[in-house]
Amino acid sequence: MLLARLNAGCLTWLAVVAIANASNDLEQSDALRLAVEPSQVTLSGRDARFNVLVDGQRADGRTIDLTRESRYRSSSPTVVEVSPEGVLFARNDGAADIEITACGQTAVVHCTVSGTGRPIQYNFAGDIVPLLNRFGCNSSGCHGKAEGQNGFKLSVFGFDPAADYRALAMEDRGRRVFPAAADQSLLLRKASGRAPHGGGIRIDPLSREYRIIREWIADGLRFGDAADPYVIGIALAPRERLLDFRATQQLRVLARYSDGREVDVTSLARFQSNNESLATVDESGLVTAAETPGQVAVMAGFMGQVDLFQALIPRPGPRVKIEQVVESSFIDRHVAAKLEKLNLAPSSPADDATFLRRVYLDTIGTLPTAEEARRFLADTRDDHRQRLVEELLVRPEFADFWALKWSDLLRVDRIALGHKGAYSYYRWIRESLAANKPLDRFARELLTAEGPLAESPPGNFYKVVQKPGDMASTLSQVFLGVRISCAECHHHPYDRWSQSDYYGMVDFFAPLSRRPSAHGEMLIAAAAAETKHPRTGEIVEAHPLGAPTTEPSTGDRRGTLAAWLTSPENPWFARNLANRVWAHFLGRGLVEPVDDMRATNPPSNPELLDALAQHLADHQFDLRALIRAITASRVYQLSSRPNETNERDEQNYSRALLKPLSAEVLLDAVCQTTGVDEKFAGVPEGYRAVQLWDSGVSHYFLKLFGRPVRQTPCECERNTEASVAQVLHFLNSPRIEEKLAHESGRIKRLVAQNADASELVDELYLTFFSRFPEPEERQLGIEHVVGASDRRQAAEDLAWSMLNSLEFVFNH
Amino acid sequence: MSARSLGYCDGLPRRDLLRIGCAGLFGTGVTLPSMLRADEQRRDRDGVSLLIVYLKGGLSTIDTFDLKPDAPAEFRGEFNPISTNVPGILVGEHLPRLARQLDKFSLIRSFGHRNSNHGEADHYMLTGYHPVAGFNPTMRPNNQRPSHGAIVARSLGPRGGVPAYVCVPRMHESGGAAYLGPAAEPFVIEADPAAPGFEVPDLLPPLTLDSRRLGSRRDLLAHVDRYQRSAEAEANQRAATTEAFRRRAFALMTSPEAKRAFDIHAEPDAVRDAYGRHTLGQSCLMARRLVQAGVRCVTVEHTNWDTHDNNFAMLKKELLPYLDSALSALFADLAEHGLLETTLVVVTGEFGRTPRINRNAGRDHWGPSFTVALGGGGLRGGVVVGRSDARAEKPADNPYGPEDLAATMYHLLGIDPDDEFHTPEGRPVKVANQGRLIRELL
Repeated sequence: MLLARLNAGCLTWLAVVAIANASNDLEQSDALRLAVEPSQVTLSGRDARFNVLVDGQRADGRTIDLTRESRYRSSSPTVVEVSPEGVLFARNDGAADIEITACGQTAVVHCTVSGTGRPIQYNFAGDIVPLLNRFGCNSSGCHGKAEGQNGFKLSVFGFDPAADYRALAMEDRGRRVFPAAADQSLLLRKASGRAPHGGGIRIDPLSREYRIIREWIADGLRFGDAADPYVIGIALAPRERLLDFRATQQLRVLARYSDGREVDVTSLARFQSNNESLATVDESGLVTAAETPGQVAVMAGFMGQVDLFQALIPRPGPRVKIEQVVESSFIDRHVAAKLEKLNLAPSSPADDATFLRRVYLDTIGTLPTAEEARRFLADTRDDHRQRLVEELLVRPEFADFWALKWSDLLRVDRIALGHKGAYSYYRWIRESLAANKPLDRFARELLTAEGPLAESPPGNFYKVVQKPGDMASTLSQVFLGVRISCAECHHHPYDRWSQSDYYGMVDFFAPLSRRPSAHGEMLIAAAAAETKHPRTGEIVEAHPLGAPTTEPSTGDRRGTLAAWLTSPENPWFARNLANRVWAHFLGRGLVEPVDDMRATNPPSNPELLDALAQHLADHQFDLRALIRAITASRVYQLSSRPNETNERDEQNYSRALLKPLSAEVLLDAVCQTTGVDEKFAGVPEGYRAVQLWDSGVSHYFLKLFGRPVRQTPCECERNTEASVAQVLHFLNSPRIEEKLAHESGRIKRLVAQNADASELVDELYLTFFSRFPEPEERQLGIEHVVGASDRRQAAEDLAWSMLNSLEFVFNH
Repeated sequence: MSARSLGYCDGLPRRDLLRIGCAGLFGTGVTLPSMLRADEQRRDRDGVSLLIVYLKGGLSTIDTFDLKPDAPAEFRGEFNPISTNVPGILVGEHLPRLARQLDKFSLIRSFGHRNSNHGEADHYMLTGYHPVAGFNPTMRPNNQRPSHGAIVARSLGPRGGVPAYVCVPRMHESGGAAYLGPAAEPFVIEADPAAPGFEVPDLLPPLTLDSRRLGSRRDLLAHVDRYQRSAEAEANQRAATTEAFRRRAFALMTSPEAKRAFDIHAEPDAVRDAYGRHTLGQSCLMARRLVQAGVRCVTVEHTNWDTHDNNFAMLKKELLPYLDSALSALFADLAEHGLLETTLVVVTGEFGRTPRINRNAGRDHWGPSFTVALGGGGLRGGVVVGRSDARAEKPADNPYGPEDLAATMYHLLGIDPDDEFHTPEGRPVKVANQGRLIRELL
């Protein structure tokens, strides 16, 4: 094994106090305390290495990374060699002091080296697999993909060392490895570029890693056995930091082995940032902040274990003062606390007209009519915003709009279910929302559906999604925001889920089948079904994610799963639902993507997510109660206009984000404002696009604006990206033109009803923008209408320009 | 056909034309960063365009590009070989005009792959990746991996006032961008260029609006949209993108070059007749116009080549006359306009057809052995690569497959086949799934 052994308890801080003249980044503070961690290092074995981390503590209390700014000198380079990056390498047994100088201060690390003369017996699972990982050999783009590469297949990320050993050492008549002349092994010749290799040169023949592989081959290809130590966990250092714009931070990864050793595996770990626009990380574990304030997480992975480094990147400059509001909600308190840390000032509050349009579109997916806008804008009561929300929550459009959202996730599909089945499935979803069914009950009904599909509409889920594996991964993703499908074939690379976890979930659904009966198609849970681990062949008993295996049992165990899933103690259920609803209203989830909750993708504001989840659980999973809390917050009611501090912030809710309208909402908005309904195939006249329960209804506009096809449970299926073709459609489509110029449309009617140009312009602004025009806008409109030879055409042109405005096509 | 029919202004060389008045671009989705990147690239590189003529259903290459006159009657079929303008290369008798263009393209007769199902084979040919578990061919699009056109669009970005990737007349199910995002999705014509009143939907304002009103609307829009150029829009990427797209859309609508590219009616009758007044012919002509205007990848999809019944009658009466006029005119036209060197034309179906003739005088699906025709883009013409066995049942030497075709295409297009894209789950996937360069053609 490769190894730097640390003396027990050596992770103490050595602090040398001195005054330094800072260079570059350090100018903010003259006073620095240099801190090197650890003060004493034991390197054991000739492969041992260790990443020293050098910190500087500024007078303002901030700790900054000086690892790459420091100079290193070994008192005895023949014992310990040190790289300019601060990596110690064992050379020969003995002791050496490493002198570290930065900012005019010096610290010393005492280093002892032992065991360099001891032969090392490398084994495949512990020593070679990490190298295959590090060099990307077993990545899913190369030999790790399902069909392998050029006849050579490895398990992705090395989750199956036994299979990899067979592939490497035995397959293809053993020509890949050649113990008698290890250097001539195909493995080394290809990887080092001495033989043509599609993957290019991966390993330098002079490197330590090359030598390890060569010696492993020459030593007779030891696989290793159960007695060999294995990795039980990894720990990143540091765990948390505040980083300035453009600052760097070196990370170190220590692996803990089952025999108690801790080994520096920084050079073998994989690193990944969860937000590249905030900070990037390179393969040596050096994190570099960009110039956007926010919270970022960097994951390290090694041998199936993961750990996390989190950095807060505040905006530089004078501290902003955030006004505290006495009656602020828990939401506002948590957001304000975050903004304060990031030195961001929130935008000003949105005016009534902006709030009106926003809350209509977010809550019921519908624009306010001119009449509704007038009424609200004239309402001077203190609580008029709250009253408006209450009105919206009981409107039928609320159920239509939220049923559409859930029908996407739960995949209401006419092709798979037939007209009748799909419609009854949809009705169950819509009625659940209309009746404000608690979301936990909604989930339980879906999870435990059985019997004739005609009488149990949620049972249709098990007809759209047919395989137990897809049922498990779909329901995990929808209700928990946890993606487990990776673990169908291999250990989840960024999470803790193994194939056992995956098949434990799958086993809940294994007994399900659909049979014809006197009452039509029946969903039943037959007794005899067992789920096998595809690699080990062992039987996997049903068990929820992260929960212990239940007693072996047969029959329908979905009730157990449903109880676990919807329990207030479930770590994901309430958080996932809260995150989805929050993302819907605020334009961005606390966890992004919204359905990818994992330890290595932490929320940008964990306290807020916890509080929102708690609110849901405390209110019996009442969706409307959560919406009340969110819409009542100052955070939701902020203006979208950035100030000088927050224009780069899209992560922390310092301003309202512009949200594109979904395809159905946008089409309905066009129809409502122009007063001309759309006719859809297969549904009665008067149906709005939001009410279409079948996402397969053929419609050019809906397709163009990204309606999902409901083939996956991913929110990302709804395509919200703009395109030139969309812009062209609004500019030029005859379908839009027809609506503007329609004989029974709104424009003609408004022109007839409003002889006064000023009133006509007001009415158009209220209709399309839900606000009155500003004086200069009104003036411009009047001039346009009055000066025109044809008033109706002039009004159509004004309406056209409104339809084509960003103000119309975005929710702001 | 003369240089006049090019639609170029005043004989300006193509490169310069692309830099003039081509501020616009469109596509069913082009993000701002890719647009900016594309603008940058346009300054320093022109490059080869890709034109895929996709014969959906599966061209019977044993009856066209690789006849086996010495095979037993139940394999040979009804057609006789004829000579071409390249000595020693023979093709089927129902491609007489194309036979005279054979110096401009080559045939890979040792081509094949392992899948004989529509859907899967389509995906394999149009993406270079065999589908894996979970593939659902009925989805539109069904891409598990991005199509060649999407990769070209994403890698190189649009050039000039036209989109990077266009499908004529419609998009094949496997023509999508998968995880490369909307920026790489094709612009789909969604109309038959052979139709008398053909036009691209929404490209121009309705005819009912006169120029005075159009001008008035533009003026109004500039004043009414208060979010235009606002701090809000600038601080919000989606809004900024929409705003940029609107400028591009206007530029496109008013760009004579781009408009002209889509205006197939401007083409002289003689040219239109040469391609043939049918969907395949006019689609190929449209493809040439698009490539000429700077489109980087055009996919022409033509259906239905799935000749299970009456293979010979279908080919002879309908399909081969279409193909003969369309392809012969395409190669001649590209060469005449000096575009052949910069346009890689690939002609293929998802597979070939069974060498053994079935009971319905048809041929069924056959992935293991068929011929791919390709030319231009700097490839050698008039070359036959490899051969199939005596009954065209499998390659007899030097077999090539979809991965090799992809590697060769990207090599010619100047895209590194080893570049990686990431799926939403973070899996890195290479542009081409390894594959050997088809060196005989380089």
